[in-house]
Amino acid sequence: MSEGALSAAAAVAPDRVTATASFWRALSAWRGWAAIAKWLGLVVLILTYVPLMWLAVMSFSGRPLSGIPYPLTLDHYASLLGDARWVEPFITSFVMGLIVAGACMVVATMVGRSIPRMRRPGGVLLIALTPLFVPGLTMGAALFIFIRTYLELRLGAWSIFVGHLVWALPFALLMVLVIATRFDHRLLEAAEDLGAKRWRRFWDIEFPIMRPAIIGAGLFGFLLSFNELLRSIFLRGSETTMPIFNWIMAASHQSQVPIIFSLATIVLAVTLPLMGGFFWVLFTRLDRS
Amino acid sequence: MRGWYSNFVSAGWVVPVFTVVWIGLVVVPLLIMVLFSFVEIRDYRVVYDLTLKNWESLIDSGRWISVVRTLRVTAVITLIEILVAFPFALWLAKGCKSKNVKAAIITLLTIPFFLDPSSRTIVWRAILGKSGIINTVFIELGLIDQPMEWLLFSEFAVHFGMIAPYFPTMVFPIYLVLTLIDDDYLQASQDLGASPLQTLIHIILPLALPGIVAGIVFTMVPLMAAFVEPGMLGGGFVNLLGESVEAALRNLKYPTAAALSAVVIALLAVLLTALVLILRRRGSLGAIFVTLKR
Repeated sequence: MSEGALSAAAAVAPDRVTATASFWRALSAWRGWAAIAKWLGLVVLILTYVPLMWLAVMSFSGRPLSGIPYPLTLDHYASLLGDARWVEPFITSFVMGLIVAGACMVVATMVGRSIPRMRRPGGVLLIALTPLFVPGLTMGAALFIFIRTYLELRLGAWSIFVGHLVWALPFALLMVLVIATRFDHRLLEAAEDLGAKRWRRFWDIEFPIMRPAIIGAGLFGFLLSFNELLRSIFLRGSETTMPIFNWIMAASHQSQVPIIFSLATIVLAVTLPLMGGFFWVLFTRLDRS
Repeated sequence: MRGWYSNFVSAGWVVPVFTVVWIGLVVVPLLIMVLFSFVEIRDYRVVYDLTLKNWESLIDSGRWISVVRTLRVTAVITLIEILVAFPFALWLAKGCKSKNVKAAIITLLTIPFFLDPSSRTIVWRAILGKSGIINTVFIELGLIDQPMEWLLFSEFAVHFGMIAPYFPTMVFPIYLVLTLIDDDYLQASQDLGASPLQTLIHIILPLALPGIVAGIVFTMVPLMAAFVEPGMLGGGFVNLLGESVEAALRNLKYPTAAALSAVVIALLAVLLTALVLILRRRGSLGAIFVTLKR
């Protein structure tokens, strides 16, 4: 592949430089392309973060759906405090996130450390990663029809958990696999020769090496579950998670929108610095290793 | 206790059990769903007689228009994302010299995966709406007399609102594959007299193809069933497949929802197969796994 690319470069070597070719050459050598590439991408990042800032600004506004934030007010925060409807969805989402995170850590570790030992892991890997290729809404609809109509079971928190696990586990598994595929199995053989039992070999050798990936798997599990909407909509039964609460409020009445603005602002004020700090440390450390 | 634990972490049974459970949770529901698109519901009971009724009504009721519209919107957004993401990823991988800037941008690209979809979408109403910030500022400046109504509850709003959420999934695979390209290749190409454009076309693009394909896949998959953005920004004028599925399930029309979802799966399967075939012809399907192993 790379040799083909090299010979292609050789084939276009400069034995025939016509006028048009030199035009293209001058055009493509223009320094400005890099700046355009950079700024177009940054504009999309601005499109991501400016609305979030605007969300925070408007949560203090007396007229949250108008163009001007003034007059400023804390009314929406006051009505959020006086309104208990969001508390239960918040707790549901938080607990669900923790459970999904725990399940992701355990299952991804167990499966992730076993897959590299298989002779032909392709099939298992493909099945494990299938949910990445199915849209959330479709997976939610499929699980709904399967559980509710085919198996005729009652939906509830447990079916939301199933939906979230199916979504989050492939990511957790990929994280563990990144480290597990590089794991040197001679370490375990050495430990076995020295008389270490199975559990000791896992706990003293494999686990410390895989710890960053396991923590990452848990974090991804929590965050993906905490914000999951498309699958939860179908699998909720009579449960309500935070994203569902936000969605219902946003879709129903204009008058409910300010409450979501302030709720989302509080959640963002807590999670953005945490996520920013975590990923910053993760990526700068990855870069060094 | 220790014995139970040591069995727990042993490799033997884990993968088979996981595979069976996972097939039960993922593959079986999808197959059942396809099966459901061929059955009928009479008196709230599923009648397991195979029928093409649901598929016929899909065509008769004009729902196929939303299939076409979904494909069009997906194609347009995917194209926009490639055009912006590939140059940006190239700059990030090869042009950006500051490690801190790089880490900051990657952080900013990662965080959107974990944002609540409703609240980040609904805020556009306060920006694009009739009395939103854009119209207010433009009227104050005297640029327009009447608020621009097409800004919100229109195809424009849906497209505009989708650009940012579906950007990171396109950037990341391309960025990863570009960082794996050895700088020596680019230097060699330049030394042999190739212009930057020739280096781009003959060296970078072929080597980056697996990443581009992965980016297209991971952007198209959620786009095909996009639901929050068209619902909140389309204002009922931009009906896409995702909303039709949700509406059908809400109205207890399970077979219709199943048929619509099966359409999504079928379209994705066709697209994925086409992409894999393109990749195979370029002989670089194996290259993905080689690069993954590094």
